[in-house]
Amino acid sequence: MNRVIQSNLLKVAAVFLTLQSVILTLAPAVKMRSLDADLRFSHWIALFVWGLLVFLIHRAIVKYLPDADPFIFPAAALLSGWGLLAIWRLDASNIGPRQALWLVVSLLVFLLGLRLSSQLVFLRRYKYLLFASALALVGLTLFFGTNPISIGPKLWFGCCGLYFQPSEPLKLLLVAYLAAFLADRIALGGRMLTIIMPAFIISNLAVLLLLFQRDLGTALIFMALYTIIIYLATGRRRAILVSIAFIALFGVAGYYLIGVVQARIDSWLHPWDDPVSGSYQIIQALLAIANGGIEGRGPGLGNPGIIPVAGSDFIYAAIAEETGLFGTVGLLALFILIIGRGFRAALRAPDLFRRLFAAGITSYFGIQALLIVGGNIRLLPLTGVTLPFVSYGGSSLLVSYIGLLFLMHISNHLDEEPAPLQNHQPYILVSGVLSLGLFVAALTTGWWSVVRGPDLLTRGDNPRRMIEDLFVRRGALLDRSDTIITTTVGKIGELERSYKYPDLAPVTGYNHAKYGQAGLEASLDEYLRGIKGTPATTLWWNHLLYGMSSTGLDVRLTIDLYLQFRADEMMLGHSGAVVMMNAQTGEILVMSSHPSFNPNHLNEIGQSLTSDPNQPLINRATQGLYPTGSVVDPFAAALFGEQSITSKELSTLHESMGFLQPPQIELPAAESLATNELEHFHVSPLQVALASAALSNHGVIPAPSIASAVNTPVEGWVVLPVLGTPTRAMQMEMADDASLSFIQKGDNFWSYLGKASEGDTSVTWFLAGTPGNWQGTPFVVVVLIEEDNARLAERVGRELIVDAMSP
Amino acid sequence: MIATVVLVLRFALSIALYVFLGWALLTLWRELDQQGKALAVQKKPRISLRYKPEWGNDRTLSFSQTEIIIGRHASCDVSLMDETLSAQHARITYHHRQWWLEDLNSTNGTSLNENTLTTPTVVISDDEFKCGNVSFVIRIDTEESIST
Repeated sequence: MNRVIQSNLLKVAAVFLTLQSVILTLAPAVKMRSLDADLRFSHWIALFVWGLLVFLIHRAIVKYLPDADPFIFPAAALLSGWGLLAIWRLDASNIGPRQALWLVVSLLVFLLGLRLSSQLVFLRRYKYLLFASALALVGLTLFFGTNPISIGPKLWFGCCGLYFQPSEPLKLLLVAYLAAFLADRIALGGRMLTIIMPAFIISNLAVLLLLFQRDLGTALIFMALYTIIIYLATGRRRAILVSIAFIALFGVAGYYLIGVVQARIDSWLHPWDDPVSGSYQIIQALLAIANGGIEGRGPGLGNPGIIPVAGSDFIYAAIAEETGLFGTVGLLALFILIIGRGFRAALRAPDLFRRLFAAGITSYFGIQALLIVGGNIRLLPLTGVTLPFVSYGGSSLLVSYIGLLFLMHISNHLDEEPAPLQNHQPYILVSGVLSLGLFVAALTTGWWSVVRGPDLLTRGDNPRRMIEDLFVRRGALLDRSDTIITTTVGKIGELERSYKYPDLAPVTGYNHAKYGQAGLEASLDEYLRGIKGTPATTLWWNHLLYGMSSTGLDVRLTIDLYLQFRADEMMLGHSGAVVMMNAQTGEILVMSSHPSFNPNHLNEIGQSLTSDPNQPLINRATQGLYPTGSVVDPFAAALFGEQSITSKELSTLHESMGFLQPPQIELPAAESLATNELEHFHVSPLQVALASAALSNHGVIPAPSIASAVNTPVEGWVVLPVLGTPTRAMQMEMADDASLSFIQKGDNFWSYLGKASEGDTSVTWFLAGTPGNWQGTPFVVVVLIEEDNARLAERVGRELIVDAMSP
Repeated sequence: MIATVVLVLRFALSIALYVFLGWALLTLWRELDQQGKALAVQKKPRISLRYKPEWGNDRTLSFSQTEIIIGRHASCDVSLMDETLSAQHARITYHHRQWWLEDLNSTNGTSLNENTLTTPTVVISDDEFKCGNVSFVIRIDTEESIST
């Protein structure tokens, strides 16, 4: 019967891993959206090795341990195969093959160990010797230890590219030692304190050594294992309370004395405060879990490699991203299965030593799983322990399989009756608490992946958005006659943004993996990414298939590239801004900011741009604030009939002309700067352009707009809403009269040259617009030069308005 | 197209995982079910005790349970008002496919076939034991054997 159960479970496990391997092979084709991709095959070696050894072990179990528990080995084999494929997928060149090698070693040791006698006498007899030598080995790492990645605590012995961590077998030997010691002593009888004391001293020796080595996770596991075994052996709840008090004490002391502990606890309690350094790992792990959602992105289709050390500490988060909540709940259920069966084997064990040993081994698996899974999902502070059978780590894998081997031997009681048991409650309690902990871990994973997930994924530090840009075409920015300003070029997997008209960069901005987004690329991101404007079902289906958004949508701007080009040409070499708009609709035809930069070369120039004293990243048209000076004169004339006005009238003017609020537009706009002296009022060129538009538009300030329409897949071009509302600044006659009075001799448009200076810097303003009686489309243009240069300002403004007014 | 195929495979993957778990649970439940049934049909040989009370004739008591406690206390299965008996004097239990007699730290002790009882001891039919001054003869019905 056992043989059949075990063989069937192993077959299902093999099907599971084969399916996973097939998906891993096909994953690049899905990412590239064509079969013409670099399909991955190397992991099939890992699967083959797994299958072969598991088959041999199954045969050996049937032969040597026919009555052993039939659930434990299949569950562990499934976990380690799953872990191996997950690790191989993360790094097929280095840690994947290493883990495969360690799995071969572990399974061979397991295979050979099946021939041992099930009495496990040697462990019981040589408990002191074994434990002392393991402790000595750990002690030796203080002098001869190394670290495979050259930083961090030196807990390994290394030779010839292979590393072994002696504190891993020490865990198992601690359990064996305690079980043997307590089984011997309790049989002799005597006071409880005298029974516990020697074990207490030896265990604490080990804990102190580990604390000294900064192997804090292992120290914590030691204390937990010690507590559990004492509790199981004596049935005293006090043991647990004392131990919890100890761990809390160590935790508080560690928080103030040991930097690592403090950092870990801080990043556990307040991860969002420091997302770039201290909490980077945990936040990236949570993002991976969130990206996994319920169904997971599919093996090979997520981006778990983003999490640092995903293979060892964060394998759970890596698995969560690719198999989703379905996968992680299953994974935790496998651990619960092992815990349940392990404790069952313990209760049925023929003597106290084997009972305590089996319960201890099972607790060791349970505690490690709980600690590291809890650390991955921010349920507990992060402890750098491994997830048994799953994580990358040779020593851990080998020791887990040796522990499993002992468990198999203990469960293989032929006709022996279970040893008498006075109190079964501690066993039920410990296994129940461990299982409950894993259940809570599953619920918490669900919380991150389902409840908090969608919200988390929109975070700016989610690198998946930038990876998505390599695989999904981002929409283009077009001018008013559909000429391309910015678009996406390249093939899938290497898509990049191409800026055809780089001079517009301060306005249109950029979308860059390192420097993020700016300008219209940032404000129109949802359309350009296709999140808005695409039917929800299409988005859902794309997310399900590829874990990505659907193709981005093109956005048409109000910019007229011909006029824009004229403005930029004339502004070349000068600092300043030009805004030209349709005075009636508020559509912006020209928005020029100089100096500009070329976003096509952002990789090379990005660093120097932020520190450039000329501030080319600033969009001077909306973010630049300049002293008003005499530029308010035309508005004063329109509002009050004369150019010299009182300061009270000046503040009325500021309010009426809309200088007090930043314009509402799809671009970052600066608040106007009001100092005590009203003469030193600062406004942006866009604000002046809007005010000027009132003169050409019969007294109404239009609502500005720069993005006019988006090309949706279902309805075609859809007009984008204008953000602001038009406001009346003055009576129609006042505006029309003022605009006519500012027409210069020989012109058919009104214009005004203004100056403002502050300290030793002075700026030149030039305003022009169609008069109130103009029958065609009304235009206004505002030019600002950051120098005293009336000629240039006038030339730019005049040429643009003449060009726009001529049919 | 390929993505749809992979999507189907991904769902098959999840299903395989839960087939594993579901199958394990089903097997566990079946095992539990069988164990329960096995325990239910498992029969023990019936035991009866013949003893002579202080007055009156010999009496024979038959038991269907697996644990019989002899003593003076009213809660005992064999409760006798004899001064030489302790409140809970001795226990007869069935385990390891045998009936066992065990003294429960009684004041006057228990003896089996004239030997004082110190550890739990297997008893067979026609064994005689004494609790204090009360003597019992055991009769074990061998016809009903164990059937598992």
